[in-house]
Amino acid sequence: MPELALKPAFNPSTPNPYLPQVATVLEVIQETHNIRSFRVRLDDEQAWASFSFEPGQLGQLSLFGVGEATFVINSPPTCKAYLQFSVMRAGEVTTALHGLQAGDKIGLRAPLGNSFPYNDLKGKNVIFIGGGIGMAPMRTLLLYMLDNRRDYGDISLLYGARTPQDLSFAYDRADWLGREDMRTVLTIDAPAEGWEHKVGLIPNVLTEMAPSPENAVAVTCGPPIMIKFTLQALGKLGFKPEQILTTLEKRMKCGIGICGRCNIGEKYVCIDGPVFTYAQLQTMVNEL
Amino acid sequence: MATQEELKKIILDVLPDVDCVIGWGPGPEPLCASPYFMRNPEDVDYLLAGPASVHNPALFLPEYKGRKTGVVVKGCDSRSVVQLISENLIRREDVVIIGFPCAGVVDASKIAAKLGPYGEPGETERAIFDKDALNLSLGGKELSIPLSEILADKCSRCKHPGAVISDYFAGEAADALQVKDDFTDLAGLESLPLEERFRFWEKEMSRCIRCYACRNACPLCVCRDHCVASSREPHWLAQANGVRDNLMFQVIHATHLAGRCTGCGECQRACPVHIPVLLLKRSLGRAVEQLFGHHAGLDPESRPPLLTFQMEETNIKEREW
Amino acid sequence: MEASSKFIARTALAGWLGELSARFRVWAPRREGRAVLYRPFDPQAPEDNLPELDKKPTESAKHIIFPRSEPLINFRRKRDPEHPGQFLLDLRVPEAPGPSLIFGLPPCDARGFMVFDPVYNGSGTDGQARDIYYLRRRAAALLIVRSCSRTLSTCFCNWVGGAPDSAEGADILASEAEDGFLLEPVSSEGAAALDSGLLVPADENRLKAAQAARDEAKKTLKPAPDISGAGKALLERFEDAAFWKGEAAHCLSCGICTFLCPTCYCFNVTDETAGANGVRLRSWDACMTPLFTLEASGHNPRQDKAARLKNRIGHKFSYYPELHEARFACVGCGRCIKSCPSGVDIRRIVTDSVGLTQSPKPKAAPRNIPGGKE
Repeated sequence: MPELALKPAFNPSTPNPYLPQVATVLEVIQETHNIRSFRVRLDDEQAWASFSFEPGQLGQLSLFGVGEATFVINSPPTCKAYLQFSVMRAGEVTTALHGLQAGDKIGLRAPLGNSFPYNDLKGKNVIFIGGGIGMAPMRTLLLYMLDNRRDYGDISLLYGARTPQDLSFAYDRADWLGREDMRTVLTIDAPAEGWEHKVGLIPNVLTEMAPSPENAVAVTCGPPIMIKFTLQALGKLGFKPEQILTTLEKRMKCGIGICGRCNIGEKYVCIDGPVFTYAQLQTMVNEL
Repeated sequence: MATQEELKKIILDVLPDVDCVIGWGPGPEPLCASPYFMRNPEDVDYLLAGPASVHNPALFLPEYKGRKTGVVVKGCDSRSVVQLISENLIRREDVVIIGFPCAGVVDASKIAAKLGPYGEPGETERAIFDKDALNLSLGGKELSIPLSEILADKCSRCKHPGAVISDYFAGEAADALQVKDDFTDLAGLESLPLEERFRFWEKEMSRCIRCYACRNACPLCVCRDHCVASSREPHWLAQANGVRDNLMFQVIHATHLAGRCTGCGECQRACPVHIPVLLLKRSLGRAVEQLFGHHAGLDPESRPPLLTFQMEETNIKEREW
Repeated sequence: MEASSKFIARTALAGWLGELSARFRVWAPRREGRAVLYRPFDPQAPEDNLPELDKKPTESAKHIIFPRSEPLINFRRKRDPEHPGQFLLDLRVPEAPGPSLIFGLPPCDARGFMVFDPVYNGSGTDGQARDIYYLRRRAAALLIVRSCSRTLSTCFCNWVGGAPDSAEGADILASEAEDGFLLEPVSSEGAAALDSGLLVPADENRLKAAQAARDEAKKTLKPAPDISGAGKALLERFEDAAFWKGEAAHCLSCGICTFLCPTCYCFNVTDETAGANGVRLRSWDACMTPLFTLEASGHNPRQDKAARLKNRIGHKFSYYPELHEARFACVGCGRCIKSCPSGVDIRRIVTDSVGLTQSPKPKAAPRNIPGGKE
C-alpha cells in the first residue's frame, strides 16, 4: 500500500505558540509625548529564571480584549531584572498599551524572530544610526555591547529626532554622552532653544561624521525616508551592503511565520527577520 | 450584432480622449464574460455587449476618479453612474457614457437550472448567443435555450433598457418602458410570519463566508477599504463567522444603500454561495420609494433622501406614531 | 494491495456513513440551493442528507480542519483579591475537538491540506513553532477522496501536479463504479475504516469500471502548458507595474478566491469580548484586502489591488515553492475562476507571466466567446 497520506503527526506535548505567558508591568516610563516604555517581568518564577533572548529579538505584547502588537525587546539580555518595550502610540493596541500602569497584567510571547549578529560583530567598529522610535530596537544591541565592551572595536551612535522632546531614553543618553569608550552624536531637525548638540537631518550629519567603513558595520533603524537617504549616505562613505544592518517593521499577527502578512517575497519578517543586512534586502522583492 | 459594431466605432472615436473605456470582453469560460478595459484600438475588437455582459462597469469608475474614463453601460449600469454622480463620488465631466439598447442579460443560476439534466455550466464547451436563444454545446450535445427563460429577474422589471444619460448611444434610443415593479420577489418571504422570516435568513446566512464580494461588487459601496466589517474602531462586528455577525453585516450594508441602491443586483450575482442578499436591499429600497417617492439613479441632481433631511417630512408623521 | 479494495453500493452509503459517525464527526458535501457545501452528516436522518457527489463542492474542505473562525484562547479577567483595583488573567485553551472524517472531497481538496501541512507544522524543522490547533484536527481527520468522474472547464489540477484521480493526501480513494463506489485504502487508517459489514470485496468488473471512469475523466482535461518557469518569471515581473495593473484591472479585491481556495491559509487574530470575558479568535483573512498589511503608522506595503493580486499569485507560484520543495501553493481546483464575479483567471495570469499568453488578447478566437459571431 503506498503511504501517500503522509499527514503530519501531532504530539500533544507540543507547546502552544499562541498562548502568551502572563507578565506584570513593573514600571512605565514616559519617553516623549507619544512614546512610553514598559518594563515587564514574567509572573512565573521558573519561566522567568529560564527566559533568555538575543539582542534584536521580538516580543508580542498582549492586552486581552484589545489584541497583540509586536515590539523589539530593547533592554539587553544582560539585564536580568526586566524586559523593556518602547511603544509609540499609533493604533488601537498601542493606544490601549499606553493606558497600562505598574502592577497591570499583560500577555507576552517572546522571544520571536532572529537577532543582530552580535557575535560576528566582535572586534568590529560599530556605528548606530537611529531616527525617532528607530532608536529603540537598536538600544538592546548597543547596551549589550557596552556591557561586553572589550569584545568590540569603536562604538559610535548617531541618534536624531525631530525636536529635543522627541528623543527617548534620557536615562541612557546622559551615560552615552559621558562615556569615553563611545562617541555619541545627537541631532534634531531644526534649531531649538537650549540645544547643545547637532542640528540637521541624520544622513547629512552622518556624512559630516564620516565614519570609516574599514572593519566597520553600520546598524540603522528609523522611518523609511530616513533609511532611504541614510543608505545612500553610507554608500557614499564606502559602506558595502553587507556592512549595513537594519531591523524591519511590518504588520504582524502570529509572529511565527504562519499567518502570512509580514512577507517580503518568500521572507517573513517575523521569523527570517526582523534583522536583515542591506545586501539581503537587495536580493528580496521591493515591497517595503 | 449591428449595435455591437456601432459601439466599437464609438469607442474607437472616444479612446484617444480617455484613460480607458470600460466595457465587457471574453471571460475565462464560454458562458462567462468579464469586465474589460480597452486602452488600445486593437482591444476594441473583443468588445462584447450582449446577454453575457452581466457585470456593472460603473463599479470601477470611482477608482478612476480624476481621470477621464469611458464607460459602456446597460440601462441598469447607467443608473449606477447617475447615482455616483449625484453623490459626488465621480464627476460628470470625467466620464464619457456610451449607451446601447440592452435586451437583457442572463442569470447564471437560471442557465444552471436549465442545464441540470445535461451537466454543469462549467462543462460547456462552446456558447453562442443569437437574437432569441443561447446555443451551447455540452457533453457532445447541442442545446438551445430561449433567452426569455434565462434572463435575469431585474430585466423583467427594467424600465430603462437604454442608458438614463449618455454622451453617445449606439442604435436607436427608446423611451422608458411602462413596466410596473410590484416586488413579487419579496412577496413570498413577506407572507411568512416574522419568526419564519428570521429562520429563513438564519439559514441563508449560515452559508456566508464573509468574503465581502457583495460589498466589493456594489458600485455604491465606496468605503470598502474602511468598512465597519473589519474595522476595530468602531468595533461593531466580531470576526467570528456566525449567523449573527454575518446577518449584521448584511443589514448594515442594506441600510447604507437604502435610497441609493439602483437594484443592479451585482451583490447577489457575486455571492459565491448564492445568498439572496438583493432581497434586503429591495425591501429597504421600496420603503424609501414609498416614504420619499425617490427612485435612485435617475436624476444626477437629486440627493438620496437619507443623506438629507427636512424639518417636516411629507410621508413621515412623527406625531402620529 | 488491491485485494483489500472494497465496494459500496450507492444505496448503502448512508448506512456506512452512519456507522462511521460513531467514531468520527462525518462531513460530506451537501447541496443547498445552487451551492454545494461540506456539512456535518446527520446519522439520525441519513437518507435526508445524502452526500451530493455529482457536483463539485462550491467551497473547499479546508474549513473542516481550519475553521473560518476558532477560539485560540478563552480569557477572563478576575479581580485580584490581594490587590483590589488590579486584575488577574485566566487564560484557557479550548479542548481538542474529536476526530473527523471527510467523505467525498475531490482530490484537489485533499492535496490542499498538503500545502497547509509544512507551514502549520513548523516546516518540519526543530525549534520552529507548530500550530497545535491545525495539527490536532489534521492528525485526527480521515479523508475519503472521491476521484472526479468529470472535470469542469475551470479545472486545471494537471497544471500543478494533480490529477482527477490523485490519491495524494487521501486515506481512502473512492471511485465511481457502476452503481456505487470502489473504495481503495491509501493509508493504514483508511484500511481500518474499510472494516465494515456494509462493504463487499471489490470484484474485477468494478475495478475495471472504476479505472475506465477515471481514465475517461482524465481525458476531459486539456493538456497542461509548461509553467515550471512561473516562479522565476513572477519575480522578474515584480516591478512591472503596467503588467500587474492590467491583470488586476477587473479584480474586485474581495475574498472569494482566497476563501474558496483549498490552499490559502492566511489568518487574522482578533480579540472579541463580552464583559470581563472574551476570546482571542483566529479567523480567515485574505491578502486581497487592504487591511491585511496596513500598518499602525498608516503605511501599507500593498496599497493597491494590483500589489495585492501580485502577492497572491507570487505566493502560490513563486514564494511558496521556493520554501517548500517546489510544490505550487495551488491545486488547480479552479474555484477562484469559477466563482470570481469578475472573471479573474489565475491560469491566465500565470501564462501571461511566463509569456505563453498576452492579456487582454483572448486565448480563444472571437467566435468561441459569448455574443461572438458564429
